[in-house]
Amino acid sequence: MYLPSAVYHERSRQDHAWWQTAFVRGKMVLLFLLLLVVIPATASVYLLSVANVIGYTILSAMGVQLLIGYCGQITLGHAAFIAVGAYVSAIAMLQYGTGYPLSLLLAAVAAGLWSVLFGLPSARVKGFYLIMTTMAAQFITVDFLITQYVSQIGGRGHYFSLPPGTITIGPWVIESDVQVYYLMVLLVTLCILGMANLLRTRIGRAWIAIRDNDVAAEAMGVNIVWYKLLAFFVAGALGGVAGAFWISSLFFVSPEHFQFGWSLWIVGVILIGGVGSLHGTVFGAMFITLLLEGLKFVVIPLSEVFPALSEKFLNVKEAAFGLAIVLFLLYEPKGLAYRWEQMKNYFNLWPFSY
Amino acid sequence: MMRGRIVLGYLLGVALALAAAVPEAAGQATVKMGSLNDMTGATSDVGKDIALGIREAVQYVNDTGGINGKRIQLFLYDYGYRVPEAITTYKRFRDFDRVAAVWGWGTGDTEALSPTVNKDRMPYLSHSFSAHLTDPKKTPYNFIYGTDYSSNARAAITVWHDEMWQKDPRFKADREGGVRPRFVAFYSWPTPYSSAPIKAIKDQATLLGFEIGPDQDIPLTALDTKSQVLAAKNFKPHLVWHGNTTMSVAAALKDSSALELGADHIVNNWGYDENLVKLAGPAAERVMGVAVNAFFGEKVPLMDKVTEYAKKMNPGVPLENRLIRTVQSWVDVLLMREALVRADKAGQLNGPGIKDAFETIRDWSPGLGRPPITITPADHRPGSLIRVYTIRGGKFALVKEVDLKQRWPDKWEKEWLGW
Amino acid sequence: MDLFLQLLTTGILVGSIYALVALGWTLIYKSSGVLNLAMGELTLIGAYVSLSFYTWGIPFPLALLGTLLVGFVLGLLTERLFLRRLIGESTLTVIMVTVGLSFFFRGIVAFVWGTDTRVFSPPVFPTESIRLGRIVIGQVYLWSFVAAILLLLIFVGFFKYTRWGLAMQATADDEMAALSLGVSAKRVYALAWAIAFMAAGVGGTLLGNINGLNISVGYLGLLVLPAVVLGGLNSVPGAIVGGILIGILQNFSGAYLSRLVPGSVKDIAPFAFMVIILLFRPYGLWGWVKIERV
Repeated sequence: MYLPSAVYHERSRQDHAWWQTAFVRGKMVLLFLLLLVVIPATASVYLLSVANVIGYTILSAMGVQLLIGYCGQITLGHAAFIAVGAYVSAIAMLQYGTGYPLSLLLAAVAAGLWSVLFGLPSARVKGFYLIMTTMAAQFITVDFLITQYVSQIGGRGHYFSLPPGTITIGPWVIESDVQVYYLMVLLVTLCILGMANLLRTRIGRAWIAIRDNDVAAEAMGVNIVWYKLLAFFVAGALGGVAGAFWISSLFFVSPEHFQFGWSLWIVGVILIGGVGSLHGTVFGAMFITLLLEGLKFVVIPLSEVFPALSEKFLNVKEAAFGLAIVLFLLYEPKGLAYRWEQMKNYFNLWPFSY
Repeated sequence: MMRGRIVLGYLLGVALALAAAVPEAAGQATVKMGSLNDMTGATSDVGKDIALGIREAVQYVNDTGGINGKRIQLFLYDYGYRVPEAITTYKRFRDFDRVAAVWGWGTGDTEALSPTVNKDRMPYLSHSFSAHLTDPKKTPYNFIYGTDYSSNARAAITVWHDEMWQKDPRFKADREGGVRPRFVAFYSWPTPYSSAPIKAIKDQATLLGFEIGPDQDIPLTALDTKSQVLAAKNFKPHLVWHGNTTMSVAAALKDSSALELGADHIVNNWGYDENLVKLAGPAAERVMGVAVNAFFGEKVPLMDKVTEYAKKMNPGVPLENRLIRTVQSWVDVLLMREALVRADKAGQLNGPGIKDAFETIRDWSPGLGRPPITITPADHRPGSLIRVYTIRGGKFALVKEVDLKQRWPDKWEKEWLGW
Repeated sequence: MDLFLQLLTTGILVGSIYALVALGWTLIYKSSGVLNLAMGELTLIGAYVSLSFYTWGIPFPLALLGTLLVGFVLGLLTERLFLRRLIGESTLTVIMVTVGLSFFFRGIVAFVWGTDTRVFSPPVFPTESIRLGRIVIGQVYLWSFVAAILLLLIFVGFFKYTRWGLAMQATADDEMAALSLGVSAKRVYALAWAIAFMAAGVGGTLLGNINGLNISVGYLGLLVLPAVVLGGLNSVPGAIVGGILIGILQNFSGAYLSRLVPGSVKDIAPFAFMVIILLFRPYGLWGWVKIERV
């Protein structure tokens, strides 16, 4: 942490603070103003919905970032836990009439527990085998359990929409895009703050120790099975929150949203953003979403002149995403967060180069 | 690094310039329409032809006076049958392109968007004929241009029962032995489109005295359905219903023939087209199915225009590869045009105005072999007359038409609306 | 009993194709340690390439040969362009590069060939089925089995009796030692990828012949992963047996399990089965057992 000159901390509490200088505090205030006031007031409904998608991507990717970036467990089945969260909250609201906050909590807990179930093999297997187990979790949960069995609850079928007015936080009904946006900002902020704080505690340090060298961690007395399962739980809970948020923005839930491709997508997001960094999650989500929206903007006007382009656009999108991941990993393996740090250092250290 | 950024900036500038250079409709009044299509996703086997048809039909409308002189400006977008994409695209249509109405596609996303569409009062004419979209009390702004899936399914099983079970000598022994005909449904359980009419068809099966066997789950992109066919074979069905689109229906038909399932087949309208014959080959013989309008190239009013525009606008696609789907698109576009024209004449070219215009349509047909369409404020089912065809020698032949309303008037009016 | 035998036979026949693809996967892993998640898309590319050759009128055996050649070249290119720089990077990076490649390949395939189901027409193999006792077997299965076994034999022969094959075995065994003896690791990797492309390509072609081709064939390629896990990651015979086991398992679960457990169990049964095996035998049936207490 680079402190400018004449900033001296006299108490350890100041030293531990999140925002240590007035400059940083000022930046944060501006950021919140931007998010909470400027954007909702000036952005069109379309841009707000893009922002909501970014928020959803961030929430989905956070669980994966925790597992892969901070705990070293590679997981390719996260969409399953997001799905669990979505379905639990949807059913809680529709079937039992609970309010949104309670259903959110239920979703987080259910998804966390489900994630622990599939994290149990991590006590016995590592590396590739763990990847396979998480992939199996993905297929078993979404393609099988949700599709076949959850539909029996309430006789709704496994895809159903939530009529307007179902999602309530106390007296407020969440309906319009602006309201969803505020909900998104709230949830994302809470989750990021929660994660950041968690990583500062003993639990976070244990996770990082496991990531770096689990044998050494165990030798130092860290109970790696316990902490691994805890990581799966928290990651699953974050996924549950993401799922519950998703249905509030879409008012519809179907297994199609949570396929294997989405699991891979969010791993791609954190890789592009930077593994092992919370900033990275946000940057990766923003980059990918905006890149693909931008592609749309270029292609749709062109498609009036070249109809073939719009017909194959989704394939172009998929290929572009794949290429983006590969190129990032080849040339910028530390991701966007690293670039960000480099830029900040540039300004901090100017005119010196190091 | 710097140079890279300059290059990137240039490229971005070029892209934006290209986008801006696309000529705007200069000065002329336009009616903006949005169209959601699937050209690359799970239903692209039927979706591609639909998209071609929509473009051609819109061009025809513009060439023949448009909407009382106003040109249609079409925003057509492929969403790959992914519901989240559909939802963001709809929002783009609504907020950015500001369309007057939308041509929708898949059941899943149309039903997902239904609450939003009805809140936004955006008329939504979809290629999904799910019966869930036909009750104006629940979905006043959703419209369909073909008879709904549930009615189609009921008609198909009724015609098979009347023409095959009652009359065909193959089943004589069973009939006289007091055996009830056995029925199995092959469809994709998770897909809203495939599962939409299942409740209705089972209801109809029970009504006609069938014995119903275990459903078999066939994914939309299935290539290998042998285990499902073998599982069905245990039940020894007389009749199998196929609720998917052409690709997987063809796979199921081929496997049924290879494994000697020994059942007759009825297919939903989106699984029944000229491609089915090509993909399934000899396994498609004697397969019955539903079609909501004439096949491509049949001699019916306006088909000459369809062929003409197909040749003119898409010369790269040979005419023998065009499907009934093109004709369906034409019906879709012409129905919307009719509603837009009526709304415009009444001076209300807006959401509620277009909706009311739809609901004034009585016994109107665009030709193209579509039986007359009637839409009322109480019932958005566009008709009760359904034609069931069979395949003989690789060609489609009409078996019978059924008017469900005439045959079961009470049930049609009171019980069957909306599911 | 009829059903059982029918399923068993079909399972073994289809499983031979999976075994072929699994072999390709194991090769890459053994020689370079890369866990390749793009196997499904490699299968797709080969299948569509052969379909194109066939629809241009080239007779099937030549089309197959053409596919092998194209696969060989693509394998070399892929390794050179994308994977060479990753030597030494962490497991996750390498896996994700293969995932990125899988998205990329899938997008390209869908762009070029579309996503509709395509069939080899006229059919390559005669369509009448053969009856062996009370079992009905489509001829296409038999021929695919023959082709797959032939290729397997060729590849195994290649390993045991040619210089390059021995070089690959050496690199897989102990890379340092092989390097010190003058084996070029880069060439070995390139060759591994080339063979994987070829094997997957033929596998895809055969699968496409059986049922028709569309994008979902890529998913069948993903089934290779449970196969290699079952057989043990490092073991070539394990991969072959694993492939066949998966073929049998798929068929059985599709027919039997779907009565107890409704829905398309067929697709997830291999994965579920794999998880169960992993709990008891984490290294598969033949894998090298590394004592790692977790």
